[in-house]
Amino acid sequence: MGSKYPPSVRGCLPLWTIALELAFLVIFFFFTSYDTSSQDPKELMGIYRVLQDVTIMAALGFGFLNSSLRRYGWSSVAFNLFLLALGVQWAVLVDGFLEWSFYKKVIIKLSSIKLATMSAMSVLISVGAVLGKANLLQLTVMALVEVTAFVTVRMVDRKYLGTDNHTSMMYIHVFATYFGLMVTWCLSRSPPVAVLVEKHQTTKNSSLFTMLGTLFLWIFWPSFNSALLDIPKERKTAVFNTYYALAVSAVTAISVSALSHPRGKINMTHIHNAVLAGGVAVGASCHVIGTPWLAMVLGFMAGLISIGGALCLRAYFNHMLGIHDTCGVHYTFGLPGLLGGIVYILLMFYEVTWTKNSMVFFQLLIDTGVLSLAMASGLIAGTLTGLVLSLKIWKAAHVTKYFDDQASWEFPHLAVGF
Amino acid sequence: MRFIFPTIAVLLEASMIVLFGFFVKYETEQNAIQQPNSTNSTKVDRSLELYPLFQDVHVMIFVGFGFLMTFLKKYGFSSVGINLLIAALGLQWGTFVQGMVHRHGQTIYIGIKNMINADFSTATVLISFGAVLGKISPTQMLIMTIIEITVFAGNEYVVGEIFQASDIGASMTIHAFGAYFGLAVAGVLYRTGLRKGHEKEESEYHSDLFAMIGTLFLWMFWPSFNSAIAETAEEQYLAIINTYLSLVACVLTAYAMSSLVGHRGKLDMVHIQNATLAGGVAVGTCADMKIHPYGSLIIGSIAGMVSVLGFRFLTPCLTAKLRIHDTCGVHNLHGLPGVVGGLSSIVAILLGVSTASSMTMQAAALGSSIGSAIAGGLITGLILRFIVRGQPSKDNFFDDSVYWEVPKEKELDNV
Repeated sequence: MGSKYPPSVRGCLPLWTIALELAFLVIFFFFTSYDTSSQDPKELMGIYRVLQDVTIMAALGFGFLNSSLRRYGWSSVAFNLFLLALGVQWAVLVDGFLEWSFYKKVIIKLSSIKLATMSAMSVLISVGAVLGKANLLQLTVMALVEVTAFVTVRMVDRKYLGTDNHTSMMYIHVFATYFGLMVTWCLSRSPPVAVLVEKHQTTKNSSLFTMLGTLFLWIFWPSFNSALLDIPKERKTAVFNTYYALAVSAVTAISVSALSHPRGKINMTHIHNAVLAGGVAVGASCHVIGTPWLAMVLGFMAGLISIGGALCLRAYFNHMLGIHDTCGVHYTFGLPGLLGGIVYILLMFYEVTWTKNSMVFFQLLIDTGVLSLAMASGLIAGTLTGLVLSLKIWKAAHVTKYFDDQASWEFPHLAVGF
Repeated sequence: MRFIFPTIAVLLEASMIVLFGFFVKYETEQNAIQQPNSTNSTKVDRSLELYPLFQDVHVMIFVGFGFLMTFLKKYGFSSVGINLLIAALGLQWGTFVQGMVHRHGQTIYIGIKNMINADFSTATVLISFGAVLGKISPTQMLIMTIIEITVFAGNEYVVGEIFQASDIGASMTIHAFGAYFGLAVAGVLYRTGLRKGHEKEESEYHSDLFAMIGTLFLWMFWPSFNSAIAETAEEQYLAIINTYLSLVACVLTAYAMSSLVGHRGKLDMVHIQNATLAGGVAVGTCADMKIHPYGSLIIGSIAGMVSVLGFRFLTPCLTAKLRIHDTCGVHNLHGLPGVVGGLSSIVAILLGVSTASSMTMQAAALGSSIGSAIAGGLITGLILRFIVRGQPSKDNFFDDSVYWEVPKEKELDNV
């Protein structure tokens, strides 16, 4: 047993955060400017609506999606907001620097904030796997590294592999999941069973809060999938496909969850994870799928895979590999994301076969390359980050204090029953 | 409660209907041109473009403010419920009073913009409600709503039309005004012993999470709040970007300060719920000025720090020394950041980034907002204390069961 109290982060957390904010200030001072071109009010409002939908997903949706642990609700929601605010500022800068050259100022448009919010979502996804096992300082470092890595991967995708903005963003799920899994693997090889039994549980209330997050993500997912498409026709297709895929995966999730229980009961945790799977899976290909039934089949498969993964793989991951995935991001985002990537490759292959024969294998190679780049970079960057985070300097909480709000929050009047 | 509250509420609503019948008409193509500030006949079209922004503000008023106040363990029903009641009454009265003040007693033609402004006027009452939360009866709240919105409309007229001051996100006229008005009322309604703490004035694990819902809704939609009444697309763009940047910077510093002043570096949920929003309040006044992205980051950072420090040091001091008991800490979320907003607009004009107004006029606007708020609040407090009465006794403070049918309390499910 370590000490009874978690180590104090008073010395380092405020210091690091304020230093970081100061650094942002200085960089913004030297390298950013407003967009001075004339604004069309209609276009401005159009982008603003999308930005807002994405922000709702990031702040409210992801915040409450991870609040299922009975003693970790505060941290889930509040850390999520912190990481979003941090991630957006950093992503705006990194995006700007990689997009344009260093001697030009980064122009802050609404669309660049939208892009930054979406990049910052990679952190919010990964956090689902790490949650409860790292303190805020560790998460801060993780956010900085992950945003940098993800934005770089996207830049490589676009500049050297010729992928468009939308597709490179949609591999966020694969990248972020494997990043998170590797970080959690390095941080803690399976927490002790006693801690898990006591604290890694949901209650009725916390499950309902999670449902709030799930619903907000579910409602706004079509906006996320269509946010980076510029052609109106593609946007429309993307919204329709996502909408139907989500609907099908919700129905599938609920029915399969009942089916898999010996007495036909529905498991709320499955619902949280699997209703979103359709939206994730259809992400990469939502603008090229021509008919709704295809999207619906994809949603169905995603729902199945998500619940199947949660049923069969969870024990294997926990015990054999020692990867403890707190909120099941692997089943919500990882597996459906992989499915979506593979389907996209097949679709593109099919489309190219119809037109020109010589390009087939080149296209296949490139598309597979993009998917595996996302996965590989997630794995590598995640491992490195995990190794850095397991150093002693971050004052991580002792393993007996995992999944416990009391490690990082003050409870002025300790409520009865907590 | 049984007879007085329904009577007053129905009477108020009846008089609203009568007033609307005489003075309020819809905006149409013909009469839109007669409105002040309208130069083209496309105003009605433009007005529909504003509808999404109006909705955002509406969500903030009803969901954001409502849930932000649900942190008390036994006062959640009242927080959301009375919030809905006074916001619904306030926006009717706000439409009327603001229209009267701006149109000098002529017929009011309502468009989306009037609805946004009416929602703004209710925001002041909801902010003041935060200061007196749990210590006031619904009847008293109705009366306070009527008086406060009247004073607010007067002050807004003085600031906007006479001083010609610039205050797009209304840091001064709404936030600082609402906070100091509420503090003044809370000061008059003070009951002895509150400074020692009240047994029901505490939060619970899940009530704090509910409050977080309110925080997040306010946080997400704040850019709409600050940009809703911007005239041109460029101003709107500036307001959105500045508010967004200020909010993200504010989150970082609020967490840092909360950890710094906390025991062993722990965070405090009250700070997170409130101080993360201070950036949106503080940037309000200069949101449409070209203060540069780093300018908004600076304002947001300062606001986050000031707000947390206020919670930690100023609020206990206010309660102990001045006998002003501020339930939600509105002084730290709206009062101080509002003042920061006013001051930063003065600095911004000093640095020459805006020519929309002059330094003296901004200072006058800040002074007038705070002055009228305190004077109006004191008078309202006296009226509530000695004329309206009906304030709950101290044992019934922060308790839903006085006004609501509360389901029988079972054992909390801790399993």
